Amino acid sequence: MTVLQVENLSFSYQEKKVLNGVSFSVEQGEIFCVFGSNGCGKTTMLDCILGLNKSEGGNVFIDGDNLLEMSPARKAQKIAYVSQKSDRTFPYSVLEIVLMGRTAYSGMFSSPGQDDVEVAEKALSSVGMSNFRDRVYTKLSGGEAQLVKIARAIAQDTKLIIFDEPTSHLDFRHELNVIKYIAKIIRDKNISVVMATHFPNHAYFFESYGLPTRVALMENGMFGAVGLPSEVLNRENMADIFKIRTKNFRDCEGDRVLNFVVPIDFCAGGEWQSE
Amino acid sequence: MLNKRYLKVLTSACIILPVVFILISLFIGRYDLGIKDIFTILVNGQNWSLDPEHAIEYSLVYEIRLPRALLAFIVGGALSISGGALQGMFRNPLVDSGMLGVSAGAGFGACLGIIFFHNNFMIYTLAFLFGIIAVLLSFIIGKIYDSAPTVTLVLGGVVISAIFSALISFMKYVADPLEKLPTITFWLMGSLSRANFQDTAIALIPIAVGALGIMLVRWQINVLSLGDREAGTLGVNTGLCRAIVIVCTSIATAGAVCVSGTIGWVGLIIPHIVRMIVGNDNRVLLPVCLSVGGCFLLIVDLIARSIVSTEIPLGVLTAMVGGPFFIVILKRTKGGGSW
Repeated sequence: MTVLQVENLSFSYQEKKVLNGVSFSVEQGEIFCVFGSNGCGKTTMLDCILGLNKSEGGNVFIDGDNLLEMSPARKAQKIAYVSQKSDRTFPYSVLEIVLMGRTAYSGMFSSPGQDDVEVAEKALSSVGMSNFRDRVYTKLSGGEAQLVKIARAIAQDTKLIIFDEPTSHLDFRHELNVIKYIAKIIRDKNISVVMATHFPNHAYFFESYGLPTRVALMENGMFGAVGLPSEVLNRENMADIFKIRTKNFRDCEGDRVLNFVVPIDFCAGGEWQSE
Repeated sequence: MLNKRYLKVLTSACIILPVVFILISLFIGRYDLGIKDIFTILVNGQNWSLDPEHAIEYSLVYEIRLPRALLAFIVGGALSISGGALQGMFRNPLVDSGMLGVSAGAGFGACLGIIFFHNNFMIYTLAFLFGIIAVLLSFIIGKIYDSAPTVTLVLGGVVISAIFSALISFMKYVADPLEKLPTITFWLMGSLSRANFQDTAIALIPIAVGALGIMLVRWQINVLSLGDREAGTLGVNTGLCRAIVIVCTSIATAGAVCVSGTIGWVGLIIPHIVRMIVGNDNRVLLPVCLSVGGCFLLIVDLIARSIVSTEIPLGVLTAMVGGPFFIVILKRTKGGGSW
């Protein structure tokens, strides 16, 4: 079943075309990774899908419904969002933050009730954060805060979760922890995920975890290549699209096949142009 | 989050304390009234007024002390709940109830009323009207450049406040120095000394409407305080919600300042004090602000009218009492729950 369908999406900031006719769809239980350099249009695309940006052209269908015709609350019942980093806010407790994931279900003039608190508590425990219930959210480490936001997205009870570089400033250990929980909720809850990332090996991780995974290479507001990680993250594409020379490796761990890609140098003509 | 038992104690305290303080305020004043007198007056009510022997006591309680206590309570409550709601919405702890220019605008309206009409009704009306106009202007400025709406809105409020403050200075400059200027000056320092039941009733309507509106969206204010991006993806209609908060806080604040004059500090400091005690969840914070802010202004007004023979302006006392009070609370709670 198709959960997200994006058709010919385009967007400009003032004169500059940032998104140039992007189309793709995501099936239930599938993870769709968007890989690209800074400024390639990843975040803009996610914002258009979330309805935070108004796209100039194209359509977004979620679960068959047109995004443009949905109220904010309805949208939030269909898509949850986990950002790279939260804005500064008041020092709410962790449970209060997770409970905010229930806003879409409580109506504009009322507050979440006791059953919502239970949903929030369950969501917290599903990412192993039950002990953090009463801790102050703004004082958590980056990795802990990301897990809390994932719990909030779970509490939001949507078919699709969008992640925008969820591990971009985490240490190695926390990165693994976050990626693992993302994989786990996709499998346990059979939801779909769109994830923007700087790390091609994340796509390989999900693939080796046994999830239906596709990856899109994005450059200049367009998809250069879309497909299975092992088809897309190869030398030719990396050289064509990002002008970098890479090498792919493969190893085994038990019955898991581990793929990974390592950057070596810039291609001829693709050198970094510094001043 | 607070546990249920604590929440129950808190709720009772928020209801009982104001009643206690209002009762206490009936005893305090230049004219001595004993506990027995007060209770007989309260119980017998109207019947006593017919008795010429007790007419003074009756009118003292019913026409002076009680309306004044009630007015102090609703004004303090309105300023505090508005300040708390705006702080949450702007995600800025330095915002207070007058942030969007309400106080400055109302001040200017009152000046106009004092200079051209010199009757209370026109002063209230013009103060209320210009308070609302000032917010509208701030809002329009905030719309000009809408990529970071809360920042431009705050900026708009600062600009509009500055313009209206300048206009107030101009009005003071041209006002008749013997008759009008003192009235303007006292109005700007805030006072409840003219309070009667009619004023209290006039102020109650906008304050009740505004406070009720704020209470209805208090959960949404929580979510809004995460920032527009996150709030939007969590299902909040950010534009509409912000508009509701602005309209409600403006109505409540304008309703308060139009009868009481400019009273600073309450809308800034009470939300912070309450934050330190009950945390940041606006579901709890805002109703507690209403009660604590009301009690605070009630106490300050008691001091204002009883400590020396002439009344001390309220605006002067709120800062003088509020400042040290804030420091004590800060020390006690080590800033817990605050930024």
